[in-house]
Amino acid sequence: MELGTFMISRIKYGLIAAVFLALFSCKQEDDPVPIPAGATPYIIEVPFGFPQKMNIPANNPMTVEGVELGRYLFYDGRLSGRTHPDSLMSCATCHRQERAFECGIDHPQFTDGRPHGLAGQETPHVMLPLINLVWNGNGYLWNGWVSNDNSVESMRRLEDIVWMTVVDPHEIAGDTSRTKALIASIPGYREMFKAAFGSETVTMERINMAVAQFVRTLISANSKFDRYMRGEEQLSASELNGFVLFTTEEGADCFHCHGGFGNPLFTTNLFYNNGKDTVFPGLDDRFAITGDPMDQGAYKATTLRNIELTGPYMHDGRYPTLEDVIEFYAHGLLWSPYIDPLMHHIANGGTQLTPTEKTDLIAFIRTLRDEDFLTNPAFGPPASLPE
Amino acid sequence: MMKRVLSVFLTIIILMSACKKDTQPEAEDPASGKISFNFHHYCDGQELIFDQRIYTNEAGNEYMVNEIQYFISDVKLVRDDGSYYRIHSWKEIHYVDTDIPETMVWQVYDDIPATQSWNETNSDGHYSGISFTFGISEEKNQSLMFVDPPESLMFWPEYLGGGYHYMKLNGKWLNTNDLEVPFDFHLGIGQIYHPNSGEITGFIQNYFTIDVQAPSFILFDGQEISISLVMHVDRWFKDPHTYDHNEWGGDIMQTQAAMKLGCENGHDVFEVLGVGLK
Repeated sequence: MELGTFMISRIKYGLIAAVFLALFSCKQEDDPVPIPAGATPYIIEVPFGFPQKMNIPANNPMTVEGVELGRYLFYDGRLSGRTHPDSLMSCATCHRQERAFECGIDHPQFTDGRPHGLAGQETPHVMLPLINLVWNGNGYLWNGWVSNDNSVESMRRLEDIVWMTVVDPHEIAGDTSRTKALIASIPGYREMFKAAFGSETVTMERINMAVAQFVRTLISANSKFDRYMRGEEQLSASELNGFVLFTTEEGADCFHCHGGFGNPLFTTNLFYNNGKDTVFPGLDDRFAITGDPMDQGAYKATTLRNIELTGPYMHDGRYPTLEDVIEFYAHGLLWSPYIDPLMHHIANGGTQLTPTEKTDLIAFIRTLRDEDFLTNPAFGPPASLPE
Repeated sequence: MMKRVLSVFLTIIILMSACKKDTQPEAEDPASGKISFNFHHYCDGQELIFDQRIYTNEAGNEYMVNEIQYFISDVKLVRDDGSYYRIHSWKEIHYVDTDIPETMVWQVYDDIPATQSWNETNSDGHYSGISFTFGISEEKNQSLMFVDPPESLMFWPEYLGGGYHYMKLNGKWLNTNDLEVPFDFHLGIGQIYHPNSGEITGFIQNYFTIDVQAPSFILFDGQEISISLVMHVDRWFKDPHTYDHNEWGGDIMQTQAAMKLGCENGHDVFEVLGVGLK
């Protein structure tokens, strides 16, 4: 591959960002802003064992009205800036609640869980689920590109992923001016913007902010394992054995990267080369961001919450099933100079789990499924969209 | 009548406040200063160079270090006569992470007892050493006491004893097959395994105290000083025990014998590089 999709995207995003900055020059400051008059603060109740520190920008405080507006926009295909039924696309087109706000391998529209945008271009990576992002302080996307370290100011926040999605040729392939204009033309939305931001004025930045507020409410913390942690439910013998394998170095040693009892996010939100490859083009991995040679082939360790629903797996979706993933870690690790030092099982080619152990490990991983999260109406589509 | 009552009342008030009270000299605030710790990492006597396999330990293992994370706690400033001031800082457990530069400097919250005199040894302000717990003591090492990263990422699995890692020292070494493979030199609570069933029957607290000799220093009232503390990484693998990665392998959290060796080697891992004014 000559340049790589990611490099092309970076250049395009850079140009688009420059235009975006020029057009929307009243850009957000980092200074705290008060809750808009009349709006109700949205208070996140931190679940047992979860971090107290949350990644909520001071200039986008969460409100009940902002979250609700964000939910509507999340599910509204007119986010594409278009009204033709064939040209509608919202966040929810790909991020399905029943698949933990991931695409899922069984998406009715996208074969094998590989989304493509309105222009027909397949997205270069499989998605990451929208779970517990309010606690992610280490950058978004597989290589953490959207983070406070990004040299482009308008590509640092969860908010920024919204406008990027609108203009991304692999996704909505739209135009922020058109999106803004269409949303602003809908009286029902103007009322919702007034409630959320104290003004009927619709801007792309406010669309970004509202959607980000909603996404920050997507909290998964009531799986069977959570109830086990709270002493409310017991795990089966197989699940318990799987938990031991998950959480011991002589077992599968998943916990160093994927958390556990002491880190219920089930991710460190950090980046690792986990031994998938031996050749690294360096175009879309963590090295592409940091320039640190040891980051070659490193990608974000995804949360394992609801993971049974969010295939295909790895940044490129190479593994369709969980069983494939466990088999890879058991017998398929590939050595390179850049393999993460936590991958000590590379000395044996893998964890070498037996078939029974693999079954138990998967049984434990399935206890991270959270039906409340998958069916909570507060996270689901509105009964109707504004007109 | 009201005027008279009011006048009497006011007169009483004035007289009471005019009474000369027994005066006592106002207590002076005790002399105090501030300290900070700067953490450094050396290998073979030089600043540690990460991610390069340029080191050889006493066992002959060629190795590199990729990252180090650890806790120190119960820090005491020790005087010649053995008395000490224990840092009661609300963040008295300090986390160091070589990937997070901010953790390399620990600005201690306490007002440290200081002196106004050069001559009064064994008094507040005159210190000759530093002592601390490497890791976290049993009393304090409680699961979920850290919920925010990065400290929360140091959790030690409940099944293996709970609490937190004392240290993760991660790197790679060239094994006997000439393959560069990872080692995770992790210290924490050890386990006792039943010889037949393999079940865990007990736990061993491996935390230990390190006494670091320091050049005597005086903290004067109002002063801020900085103590440079260095970890000599190579010393984890020697003295009194030669630690061989080929013997213990890449993971030791469930190998008490290996962790015991490491902890016993830790007695001289730290050194005070210097004490200076901030």
